[in-house]
Amino acid sequence: MSSKRGGETVGEEEPAAVAASSKDGRPVVVQTVDLAKRYRRGRIAVDGLDGVSITIAKGEIIGIIGPSGSGKTTLLNLVGGLDRPTHGKVLVDGFDLGGLDDGELADYRLKKIGFIFQFYNLISTLNAVENIELPMGLANVPKEEREERARELLSIVGLQLRANHMPEELSGGEQQRVAVARALSNSPSVILGDEPTGDLDSKSAKALMDLIWNLRKEKKVTFILVTHDPFVVARCDRVFSIRDGKVIGEVVPKSIGAKHASDEEKQMMDSFY
Amino acid sequence: MSSSMGMAFKSLRRRKLRTAFTVSGIVVGVALILVLLSLTAGTSTRAGALINTLSPAQITVVNATGRTAATAGAGGTFVFRGGGGGGFGGGRLGGGGGTAAATFASLFGDSSTLDQSVADAVGNLTGVSVASPTLSSTGYVSGTASFITGIDPATYKEATGGLNIVTGGNLANSTSGSQIVVGQNLATNLGLSVGSVVTVGSNATGGSPYTVVGIYSTGNTFTERFSYIPLTNAQAIANKTGQISEVYVKADSPNEVAQVTSEITASFPGVSAIAPSTFTGAAATLSGTLTTFFTIIGLAALLAGSFGVVNTMMMSISERTREIGALKAIGAKKGQIMRIFLSEAFLIGVIGAVVGVAIGVAITLALPYLTGAATTTTVRGAGLGGLFRGALSPTLTLNTILLSLGLGIVVGILSGVYPAWRASRMDPVEALRHV
Repeated sequence: MSSKRGGETVGEEEPAAVAASSKDGRPVVVQTVDLAKRYRRGRIAVDGLDGVSITIAKGEIIGIIGPSGSGKTTLLNLVGGLDRPTHGKVLVDGFDLGGLDDGELADYRLKKIGFIFQFYNLISTLNAVENIELPMGLANVPKEEREERARELLSIVGLQLRANHMPEELSGGEQQRVAVARALSNSPSVILGDEPTGDLDSKSAKALMDLIWNLRKEKKVTFILVTHDPFVVARCDRVFSIRDGKVIGEVVPKSIGAKHASDEEKQMMDSFY
Repeated sequence: MSSSMGMAFKSLRRRKLRTAFTVSGIVVGVALILVLLSLTAGTSTRAGALINTLSPAQITVVNATGRTAATAGAGGTFVFRGGGGGGFGGGRLGGGGGTAAATFASLFGDSSTLDQSVADAVGNLTGVSVASPTLSSTGYVSGTASFITGIDPATYKEATGGLNIVTGGNLANSTSGSQIVVGQNLATNLGLSVGSVVTVGSNATGGSPYTVVGIYSTGNTFTERFSYIPLTNAQAIANKTGQISEVYVKADSPNEVAQVTSEITASFPGVSAIAPSTFTGAAATLSGTLTTFFTIIGLAALLAGSFGVVNTMMMSISERTREIGALKAIGAKKGQIMRIFLSEAFLIGVIGAVVGVAIGVAITLALPYLTGAATTTTVRGAGLGGLFRGALSPTLTLNTILLSLGLGIVVGILSGVYPAWRASRMDPVEALRHV
């Protein structure tokens, strides 16, 4: 695992240092190379992101922290193919997003990425199981297959009894678990969360992080979570701190996490580092 | 995406009240168009039928003292219908005043007559195939008032196409004789059949015996109260020997009707020649104008309805901005988002069109009862009621229904195009940030 802190150090290993696997041998899922995004706010150009190079391995739970406007969400959107960089590269499973057109980017989001949001963003007119089926429907998965998989995912997130409930009939925590199931439905390489616990009470937040840890353990799912929540930070493998569009630090919150983590989690964290 | 229609349906079902309001715009437009189209179709059908009923020949020649009225009739065919309620409704048959009655009289010659020699002279004009003299007057058949028309059976059939005899036969080919052909309505009222003997005269009590040789039908109860006897007999009854009320003329070819008409008018001062085809033409033009006018009103209503759909859909898209952002984030392509919203618009169109057609059909079917009931009950001669109820007698055709249905659906889809396009073009990053 390597991380370049800030644009000025990028030159050393640049450019196409595409890592096939991290230093402990696990395959690399996401790599950004000198990633930059410049916005225009009226006449003023604002750096949303300014030379970020990070590498994330399969099965990692990554936290991204930083003050508002620091570029956290921009980084997430670039990795998720919702936005295009003004400079630099995003590689997912070794594949460069740079050359994709709008339709291909949509396809990339559909198959390689799962999104979870602070306010869940379930489709309000569809019930839980239909929401989970939706990405599979977009990917033209046959009806029976997607129904079966949606039910399976619903039981993985512990909501099999809520299958036919509408989003408004579910608690925030339940909605977020449906959102996680929806994000998992096309078996993505990475799940991106933008403040996933931002609207949850601490009990639901804990349940969500338990679910995330479990998914990582059972299915080797990779997570990148933008967060303000110290509790989430504590349970990430690594946390990148971003300020003014640059990565200013990488923290391994083992010591913090140790206080909260279960024995099993501690053991797992130890095995990773 | 296979389930975009399903999503659209669920979305509409979840917002029932709003959907109902949106749909109602289309419903009103479609129903209005259906009713208006049915009304105009009915009006032109009726006008055509009425003119053909009243004047069976290509050209009718009458005394020009009835000219003013005749001209009025030619210029404004709808005077018949407009004046019908007042002119005829309250008065006796053939009586009463007003433009409509005068026009009517001029066609049937109750007031001013021509000398019978005019018929022969007209028949000798070039381009004239046959000229048949007739005398129409009011009289009584076994005590019941009837228009009694004296005809020359030998030429009448050729000039007018003849009566539509349903029982028995025509008058014998002679201008005299005590034979009579009566209309079905009159026959029913008097209990007549072929071979029955009736008394025919100028007043309710007197008259001479006539044998019924045939019964005709026109499909119109008013004209089925008429009766036909040989010309000379009619002249005697009306005390108008050697006089006729009109000459029915047939031209050698339909193309020569206009030419023959002006030729007659030019050759015989004091005589007026009327070609109903010019009435029909005027009626068709007027009916076309009405159709255009009503169609524009209906389309304007549909347009207003479509603004409603556009408005609601824009509102709905604005409310669902974050959902649309989420849809894009999870990988929905522009086309797929477009299809979801177009499906919604299509469904709104379908529901609106179906409900609109149902309401429109109901109104169309109810209209004759709502407007016609009064006429039938107040007019003594039920026939008149039947004739003039045509004023609001819509004709419902499959084409009209399909056209209204199609228009509603098309308007629904078109209204959805812009909102759907806006939704599909939303920037997901912005959309997700939307609160």
